[in-house]
Amino acid sequence: MSKAPLHVVVVGRDIALWLTAVSLQRALGTTGVSVTAVELPASLHPGDVIRSLPALEALHNRLGINEADLIRATRGSYTLGWNIAPPAPATPFFLAHGGYGTPIDGGEFFHYWAKARHYGLDLDFETFSPTAVAARQGRVLLPDADIEKFGRADYGYHLPAIEYAGFLKGLAHRAGLTSHRSHRVVVERDEVAGAIAAVRLDQGRRIEGDLFVDASGVEAVLIGGGLGRAFEVCAAGSPVDRILVASAPRFASVPVYSEVRIREGGWLELLASQTTSQVRFAYSSIGCSDEEALAAARTAAQLPLQQARVRTVQSGGRSDPWTANCIAVGAAAHQVDPLFDLDLHIVQLGIVHLISLFPAHARFDAERDEYNRVLASNLARLRDLPRAFYGLNPFHAAGFWDAAQRRPMAKSARHKIEAFRARGQIPPMEDETFAPDFWRALLVGLGEMPLTWPPPIDLTPPDALRDALERMLDFIKDKVLEQPTHDAYLQRLAQGELV
Amino acid sequence: MSDGPVRIVIVGGGTAGWMTAALMSRRLPAADYSVTLVESDEIGIVGVGEATLPHVKIFNDLLGLDEAEFMRATRATFKLGIEFRDWNRPGDRYIHPFGAFGEPWGGLEFQHHWLRVKRAGRPVAPLWDYSYSVKAAWANAFEFPDTDPASVRSTYSYAYHFDAGLYAEFLRGWTTARGVKRVEGKVVEIGRDVASGLLQSITLQSGARIAGDLFVDCTGFRSLLLAGQFGAQWEDWTNWLPCDRALAAPCANRGDFSPYTRSTARPAGWQWRIPLQHRVGNGYVFSSQFISEERARETLLANLESEAQAEPRLLRFAPGRRVQTWVGNCAAIGLASGFLEPLESTSIFLIQAAAIDLVDLMPTPGMVKNGIDPALSAEFNRLSAMQYERIRDFLILHYVANSREGEPFWDYLRHMEIPESLAQKMSLFRSRASLSLYQYGLFARDSWLAVLMGQGIIPEGYDRAADAFDLAMVGDKLDAFADRIARNVASMPSHARFIADYCKAPQ
Repeated sequence: MSKAPLHVVVVGRDIALWLTAVSLQRALGTTGVSVTAVELPASLHPGDVIRSLPALEALHNRLGINEADLIRATRGSYTLGWNIAPPAPATPFFLAHGGYGTPIDGGEFFHYWAKARHYGLDLDFETFSPTAVAARQGRVLLPDADIEKFGRADYGYHLPAIEYAGFLKGLAHRAGLTSHRSHRVVVERDEVAGAIAAVRLDQGRRIEGDLFVDASGVEAVLIGGGLGRAFEVCAAGSPVDRILVASAPRFASVPVYSEVRIREGGWLELLASQTTSQVRFAYSSIGCSDEEALAAARTAAQLPLQQARVRTVQSGGRSDPWTANCIAVGAAAHQVDPLFDLDLHIVQLGIVHLISLFPAHARFDAERDEYNRVLASNLARLRDLPRAFYGLNPFHAAGFWDAAQRRPMAKSARHKIEAFRARGQIPPMEDETFAPDFWRALLVGLGEMPLTWPPPIDLTPPDALRDALERMLDFIKDKVLEQPTHDAYLQRLAQGELV
Repeated sequence: MSDGPVRIVIVGGGTAGWMTAALMSRRLPAADYSVTLVESDEIGIVGVGEATLPHVKIFNDLLGLDEAEFMRATRATFKLGIEFRDWNRPGDRYIHPFGAFGEPWGGLEFQHHWLRVKRAGRPVAPLWDYSYSVKAAWANAFEFPDTDPASVRSTYSYAYHFDAGLYAEFLRGWTTARGVKRVEGKVVEIGRDVASGLLQSITLQSGARIAGDLFVDCTGFRSLLLAGQFGAQWEDWTNWLPCDRALAAPCANRGDFSPYTRSTARPAGWQWRIPLQHRVGNGYVFSSQFISEERARETLLANLESEAQAEPRLLRFAPGRRVQTWVGNCAAIGLASGFLEPLESTSIFLIQAAAIDLVDLMPTPGMVKNGIDPALSAEFNRLSAMQYERIRDFLILHYVANSREGEPFWDYLRHMEIPESLAQKMSLFRSRASLSLYQYGLFARDSWLAVLMGQGIIPEGYDRAADAFDLAMVGDKLDAFADRIARNVASMPSHARFIADYCKAPQ
């Protein structure tokens, strides 16, 4: 190849394939780059629901996706965060995507709350998050000028996966990219350069390209099968090696959050959409058979479960997801613990960085190195989250949780926890996906409380602090009551009243 | 909290000591903290006329200083950036401005559009014409930035040149009026607890003994407490930054009253020019491996705009940092924590950042009794390492990307091996004009862009998304932007005039 890459072949399936293909087409189509999608057989099942993080909205905006259209087409719903429900008698806690409180005298809200708690305030951290309060009341939180001044009002989606993949596929075709379907793909390598020269599809078809994107998920048909880049299992990555997935009927009232229930042998997550609810039970095959897992999931969900199936999961990745002219995105590159549903976000990270580093000419070593560096850095920060969760868990359920707690903790996650305990600070690190207050809500929920706060916090007189807290509570109470319920909002969307 | 105040003892009264003391007096509650600063009139301070970064204004605002009063007291002038002369090759010059280049269009950074239009063969102004700060600096003009973000006059910020000795003095007056105790005297003895190894007290020549719970080492290069008592390990960066001496001498201003610092490349280092209200500070930063002190002195004296007002003063230093800057109950701020040559005016920033971090991570009265949580110092040390390494890479960039062939000092620098973190940034820019950015630490997008371009690293490509825009339209936008800057700069008052009206120091 002597000129800048012009033809990109994306090989993959389902959401990762179509989101990648359409994003590349939209970003680069007007610059002379053409995109071909090679669609492998789907691995999705009816009833699968995928959960997004707030960042997805920005990518959707770049693709010109209208949110009302998306929700109508997929019959998806909104999620304002996670409700984490430990076994009784412990009380649940909420991890909100939106902000918590507002700064006081230029200081971060959290420290004022921690101080007030120290002196007897009987209100949880989530009480000061409009997002969490709305979620508890089954309401959405529609950002207006006042809410945005108060803090972030971010949210994610629960999207029926087959419908979402179909929505993106339709978008991709309307954007003008070429696509082929094939049951299998064989990689043809350029003997000299070691790069991929072409992919062979079934029925004797052969497609050449300048760049090949592997969006085939765990199969990693190009980067793994074709180029032989090894998947390195992350030893301390995750206590989970099995996940049981099943469908349940839709809830009469669709929850506006995701729920994680902590149970003895693992954890169960409920992702509700307008058509169905997905139940996922994560566990370890060491202490739990698949039959036991199904029984545990039934008990924990208290819902009739259908189409239950088990898949194995692992945590780890490939250190060079961009090798030669092949760029792996999503699970083909990196896999993480299933807690906090990071899969779609990992696909998005790959796409966004590939677009911003799309080769400017025939040699692209610098772009490749930067892609591999920045993805590794982002993944390391993402992995801190489940690591901290498992490492700190106070659930004292024998078996799974004790074993999870005994796993070695990465230095970065440990430092975050220790700095939080000492001073309520979340150490600022590059490429962090979750906001400091999300981290704090998690650590507080797991029973950690900082021992101290930054001394300048004490410069605010106690009366002023009390007044500020009261003003926030009044604001949140009034604002949340103005919001429609999630059900009412979804109904208005379905009826086309909202665009 | 009821354990009695934490007794903080700051040792050393230069810029680092007084900035730290000033911030503490403003940000630490008096009921919980008492601050004592010990300084010796016998020990000089390094302050040689200091150039700063815009962050110092944030620091002064945090204290609530009156800007005009502070500028009068320190003979200060304004600073819009740093001019680098002859750095890439003799005869060229560029400015690292405190402001933006152009503006992003269609989600793409400015330089991609600029390069694309240039490559397409359409005439386009030099990159420097798209920076308000650069144009204002070269016009020797100054006024305050506009607060309206729609105005092109909002696209820059500013710093100061001031006499660092006078700044320390100004802060001393301000700080002692706010309850910080100043003790004059030379430290002759340091008391440590045998069991814990923690510092307990210092004893002065007068026999006075000052006990403390937390000690801040602001003793400069000597690092009396951190290195002297705790033997904090030194990480040496001489192989990347070989300059280890400076000769400094003031002279009268016979050149421009410029709102920028100038750095001129010399055979074995570089020479600074810092215009203050009443004089110009000059200095030759050089590598003793490549030039003798005598030869450096001659070079400096031969390159002053007027006769030196004093015999050049020699400063010796070593580039690098202490691996840990807070050990036990001793934190170091300023030169006691590490040293980076003044090429990018970072020393006062490093003091400010460390002082702010130390205040936020300050042990509480309860901890003093029960032991300081090691997570606090661990975080302080992590942040300090990050700041130093970011700046280190940025400084090395100036040296490694030079075309001054045939001069041993510059030849060495051009061929040395550089940190991987910098090598990746340079190759990414060379390949596609993209900047590998970070969120925390000094030097953002426009700073990297200025020095990469200024040092002659010309990108081979640009982000191809730029090709999606109509060429003529983008070209016109570029012209209009440069024109807007030129028109606005033309109506600015001169720097000299602005100083005279705003903050002229009494003669």
